[in-house]
Amino acid sequence: MKKRALALLMAGTMALSLAACGGGSEQTTSASAGKTVDGKVLDADQTYNTYLMSDPSTLDISKGNDNYGWNILINTMEPLTRMDEQDGQNVRIPAGAESWESNEDGSVWTFHLRDNKWSDGQAVTASDYVYGIQRTLDPASGSLNGYLITCIKNGAAVNSGDMDPSELGVKAVDDKTLEITLENPTPYFLSLTDTRALLPQRQDLIEQYGDSYGADADKYIGNGPFKLDTWTHNSELVLVKNENYYDQENVYLDKVVFKILTDESAIFNSFDNGSLDAVSTGTREWMDRFDQKNGVSRVDYDNSTIRYHFFNTKDALFQNENIRKAFSAAIDREDVNQTIYFGNMTPYTGWVPSTVSLGDTNYREAAGEMMTDTMSEDPKALLLKGMEELGLGSDPSTITVTFTLGGTNQWLKTYGEYFQQIYQQKLGVNIVLDQNEWGTFQQKTNSGDYQMAYMSWGIDYNDPISMLEIMKSDAGSIPTFWENAEFDALIGEASAEMDEAKRLELCKEAETILLSELPVCPVVNEAVHSYNYDYVNNMATTPFTTMGVKKLFISGR
Amino acid sequence: MRKFITKRILYMVLTLFVITAATFFLMHSIPGDPLSYMARNLPEQTRLNYYAKYGLDKPVTEQFVLFLKNFFTTGSLGESLRYPGREVTDTILTNSSVSVVPGGLALLIGLVIGVTLGIIASLHKNKWPDYVVMFIAVLGITMPVFVLASLFQYFFSVKFQLLPTTGWGKPKNVVLPVACMCFGTIATYARYVKSNMLDVMGQDYILTAEAKGVSGFNVIRKHVLKNAFLPCITLLGGQISGIFTGSFVVEKIFGIPGLGFYFISSINDRDYTMIIGTTVFAAGLFVIAQLIIDIAYGLLDPRIRVR
Repeated sequence: MKKRALALLMAGTMALSLAACGGGSEQTTSASAGKTVDGKVLDADQTYNTYLMSDPSTLDISKGNDNYGWNILINTMEPLTRMDEQDGQNVRIPAGAESWESNEDGSVWTFHLRDNKWSDGQAVTASDYVYGIQRTLDPASGSLNGYLITCIKNGAAVNSGDMDPSELGVKAVDDKTLEITLENPTPYFLSLTDTRALLPQRQDLIEQYGDSYGADADKYIGNGPFKLDTWTHNSELVLVKNENYYDQENVYLDKVVFKILTDESAIFNSFDNGSLDAVSTGTREWMDRFDQKNGVSRVDYDNSTIRYHFFNTKDALFQNENIRKAFSAAIDREDVNQTIYFGNMTPYTGWVPSTVSLGDTNYREAAGEMMTDTMSEDPKALLLKGMEELGLGSDPSTITVTFTLGGTNQWLKTYGEYFQQIYQQKLGVNIVLDQNEWGTFQQKTNSGDYQMAYMSWGIDYNDPISMLEIMKSDAGSIPTFWENAEFDALIGEASAEMDEAKRLELCKEAETILLSELPVCPVVNEAVHSYNYDYVNNMATTPFTTMGVKKLFISGR
Repeated sequence: MRKFITKRILYMVLTLFVITAATFFLMHSIPGDPLSYMARNLPEQTRLNYYAKYGLDKPVTEQFVLFLKNFFTTGSLGESLRYPGREVTDTILTNSSVSVVPGGLALLIGLVIGVTLGIIASLHKNKWPDYVVMFIAVLGITMPVFVLASLFQYFFSVKFQLLPTTGWGKPKNVVLPVACMCFGTIATYARYVKSNMLDVMGQDYILTAEAKGVSGFNVIRKHVLKNAFLPCITLLGGQISGIFTGSFVVEKIFGIPGLGFYFISSINDRDYTMIIGTTVFAAGLFVIAQLIIDIAYGLLDPRIRVR
């Protein structure tokens, strides 16, 4: 141990002195240099510099669960399908699977794999998928993603340890055919094919490295457009083109550098001086600055996260529906967006995020606006009605509500103070702010020790069910303690209905029930504002694309 | 001397044990768990599987016994819970060896400049060099390091594009962080050395030396400096252990993969193994530094010779 420490120290100092002798810029000429794509000539240097706001926890597909790791996985792994963007619309395209089909009721799915190789040259087979899926559901892996695929036959029983992983409904029919049997017909099953839960995994390497698989560049392998070259923890990850990738002639970048930058001004300064090629921000002053910058384009889109308030429906006050409605109707969401978010979010009164699609249609456009009736009612009248129902008299100033917040920073303080003022003005009630560190917040809300709280939720997969099912009576995802048998039944039906039109109606009905009883009160839909230098081409403009940086190319840097 | 050192080492081990135990039980008593960083409630079965995998389903006392057993049998502090697959000991060694570079350079440069300024200030008490030095010192102590770091980054990397904004591995990556970090050290030592110098210069033995006809320069060199520097050892001890643990703020702003990050993030993430690891590491360095300081005093200062 001691020797090792000394060696490391010495290595550190040596690296520093060696680096001092080095220097000089490295110039690589890309194989795709000079090629023409979409009428643009590719630069000799096809390096894309981007960032992550935290080091990926691990690249072990089963164990990791964060977005940072997902950013690396989507570029170094090949999922069964990918969500591409064509003319501003999301389209599901074949990726690891060349084609797929399901039986009539959607309970058995067969994927025909294409000839693809892992970055070490070994062929990708159906049993790699079988192993990966079994491992994610095996309780011994302690995976955080297992719940996503309990829809697979015996999935829940395997995940709870009641059945052996071998009894799971996944089968390698032959090397190139993967068959997945589901517990029930699951119409959104395809939306899971480009999540972590259904990626292939290499049994030999995972067994070789054990618990440390995925923790370092040399203990990880992929089968995607890029391979992980180096990973300096908390500093940077470097991806290089994977020559063994089946579609490598359509991959233009030679190198992708993910810098780990946790400090906001460091990120923006780096973009400003060109050491990062793209950045996303919601900070007004930086947006103003980048808006005026030459050679920079801006992309705006809603993402799939809702920021909302939620009520403790077991609370003496918020057990009343009219009171909850009053607290929602009192919010001028446009004003929240302007005052709190400087106009950077999208005011929102639906529960399913604006970008989510059901099959090939946008759910929100098809289902229409929600809460229009509540919003047009007088909040004060709703409050008084609720107070009367509860026998609380008719003086709102006798009411004091605690607004619980999960963070101690200045932004949340301002957020709370804004609502303190709004509710005081519009309802005449007193609001006490209760700021907590996240762990405390979680404990308080989960144990029902709160009245009204603020949080956000981003969906796991692109389907309305992903957002709606977390409100089921037994889900426990958001501790409102709200229970509604009709809602549960509708979600149950919608999760198994293969007909899209019928499913839309079921989801819409469920969402309407949810938002008329209002255990949760949506406020804004998050929006992304990203900037990139014009020399970066083919940047994504929709939230659900799972193409990673596969299609990007550099022209005219 | 040997008896003294043995006794001190025993105390050291005891101190470390108490710190470890206290931290272990305290961190398990704060609300939240290693899944808190995900900022959402995962389904129950998923949580149970995770707790079982990392032994978090066992009573805290049992976890503590297992931790100690594991440490004494394998020397391992366990696997990070926030970064599965990474050994806490590896993380500490790798990252502290990064932190030590800017930290060490900053201390060295800060010490040299600070001491020089302190000497200059004391020799020109209440004249302009003194005022200039004290101005720098006050600035260095009051100006938060993140302000300085942001300013440096903006001017040197964005405005004049002389140095990289962030990064690690090249010498030019070290310049700005070191400049930021040494500012505080300069300030501290300038003030400290100045007041010590003035203190010593007022002593009787200096008067005696001057009365004996020793030249001004030699009085300073042989008598004043030697005695004025001695108390600096206390300060230096703490700072030397500090360079291994890194600076959270500076490392964050300049994207240096040092250890400073883990001290703060492990607590926010409830990464229990990492909290214990970093705490034991910092505490260990600290008590060792204290021991060395005590021994150094004994060797250097005949007045405090230990028995």
